[in-house]
Amino acid sequence: MTTLGRHVRLSVRQALHEQRSFWRSAEYALFTFALPLALLLLIGSTTAGGFLPGTHVKAQMIFVPSILAFGVIVAAYVNLGAKIATLRHDGVLKRIRTTPLPAGAYLSGVLGSTAATTLAITACTAVIGWVAFGAVPRAAGLAEIGGGLALGVVCFGSLGLVLSSVARSAESASPLANATYLPVAIMSGIFDPTFSVPRWLSAAIGLLPVRALAQILQQGYTPVEHAPASDLLVLAGWAVGGGALAVWRFRWQ
Amino acid sequence: MTQLMAMPEHAATAEPLAIEVSGLTMSYGSRQVLRGVDFEVRSGEVFCLLGPNGAGKTTTVEILEGFRQRTGGDVRVLGVDPADQRARLRERIGIVLQECGFPRQARVAELIDIWRAYYSAPRPLEELLALVELTADRACQVRRLSGGQRRRLDFALALAGDPDLMFLDEPTTGFDPESRRRCWAAIENLRSLGKTIVLTTHYLDEAERLADRVAILQDGRVQTAGSVRQVAREAGVPTTISFTAPKRLRSGDVAAPGCLEVEVLGEVARCRVPNAAVALRELLAWTAAHGLGDLDDLRVETPTLEDAYLRLVDGRSR
Repeated sequence: MTTLGRHVRLSVRQALHEQRSFWRSAEYALFTFALPLALLLLIGSTTAGGFLPGTHVKAQMIFVPSILAFGVIVAAYVNLGAKIATLRHDGVLKRIRTTPLPAGAYLSGVLGSTAATTLAITACTAVIGWVAFGAVPRAAGLAEIGGGLALGVVCFGSLGLVLSSVARSAESASPLANATYLPVAIMSGIFDPTFSVPRWLSAAIGLLPVRALAQILQQGYTPVEHAPASDLLVLAGWAVGGGALAVWRFRWQ
Repeated sequence: MTQLMAMPEHAATAEPLAIEVSGLTMSYGSRQVLRGVDFEVRSGEVFCLLGPNGAGKTTTVEILEGFRQRTGGDVRVLGVDPADQRARLRERIGIVLQECGFPRQARVAELIDIWRAYYSAPRPLEELLALVELTADRACQVRRLSGGQRRRLDFALALAGDPDLMFLDEPTTGFDPESRRRCWAAIENLRSLGKTIVLTTHYLDEAERLADRVAILQDGRVQTAGSVRQVAREAGVPTTISFTAPKRLRSGDVAAPGCLEVEVLGEVARCRVPNAAVALRELLAWTAAHGLGDLDDLRVETPTLEDAYLRLVDGRSR
């Protein structure tokens, strides 16, 4: 068997193993799903059917893809970051390092499992957004949604790995994750697209991956006025930078 | 050149070496931790590395395992240099680290199974479960296992790839006597499979019970190495001979044999001698000469590894 073949086989095997343990801890899985879906229903019940101020854009065409982006962040950034910090704290990573499993195969397996979880969350979000609020993606926008989700998982997954390395302990990983993404998500208008911030702050937020991902996904639902190319650039930049930082800072113990 | 000279010698003894360490040095910055360590581990033996905290045991083992780059010296583990061929070595060694967790949601058999997938020629699952006596607990969640069961699961994971060489780092620290005994039994199972085992421990009774050979590491050097008996002899700890003192000895009617320093404490006479066989001959001749009959409760206590260790280690540090 070629080295690459073995690598891929091991990654897939690891991803399946990780998925199995994710779904086994029902509580954990439930809350990972509950948060984005509860927010979707909450925001939807108050704003669905209305138009964004000064536009002909229906609110659900914006908040449904925003919650899609939120689901990506929760699954890839918060969950993965906390999970890896816990595995490191428990000495599981140290143990894996004693085996011939290549580090790359292990990490891609873990990221693969995260991608599967993210896909499940976003699928639920999209279906509820469609059934409950009538938000249907544009046929032409499926490429944006697919590409945005894939890039989003890589970007926020890498940042989750960085977070796990930065956190001093397993206990601090989750609070640290929440403290970093939540303010950015609010200021990026994830929960309320009319949320307004000073111009300079808005420019700074535009350089962060949260609004970039949300806008790419919004583009998949309704053509809106912004530059998708620059969003893509921002997200790709964070994915590359985050990936490099994740590999560089990664510690087995 | 040394290779060529060393080869026939090993072939002659028919005991290939699993590990060869010579002149191993290691420095962290200006602090020198290993100052020229030499020892060998033969294939199929249980080798125990002893030494006080800070002597360099962990550093040595981590270099052998390929986790740490040495500063100098030669190291061969299963014929390869662990610094160059870490990935290749991983296939053939099993490591039981002292404190190492399990994924929280995993079950016993499924965890062993994923570990087997990491190796190219794993041992069968059922065999691994049987070896560590966890067959009945195969479906058990890992977090519900007792300390002793967890340690045996550690062994199973380290054995998953059917390694030739295993490193066990303080395998029974903090265990109750029953768990220790089962753990020892598991280690003896490993030995009977023909695995070479490198053990580090703080328990000298454990080393004495399990090890074929030991090395005592102190201040970054191997102070002494060899079989347990050799080490004890080398440390110069005397053998103790004791017996119930005959009445006539206690009353002063008969003098103790002149060549032995016998001290009488209450009913018990005791002497410490370098050579038990010579001393016993003297003693029996003395009883015969004085018509003292058979000595009651005659005991010969050869020095334990603990006696030797304490003597060697304390002698140096104090």
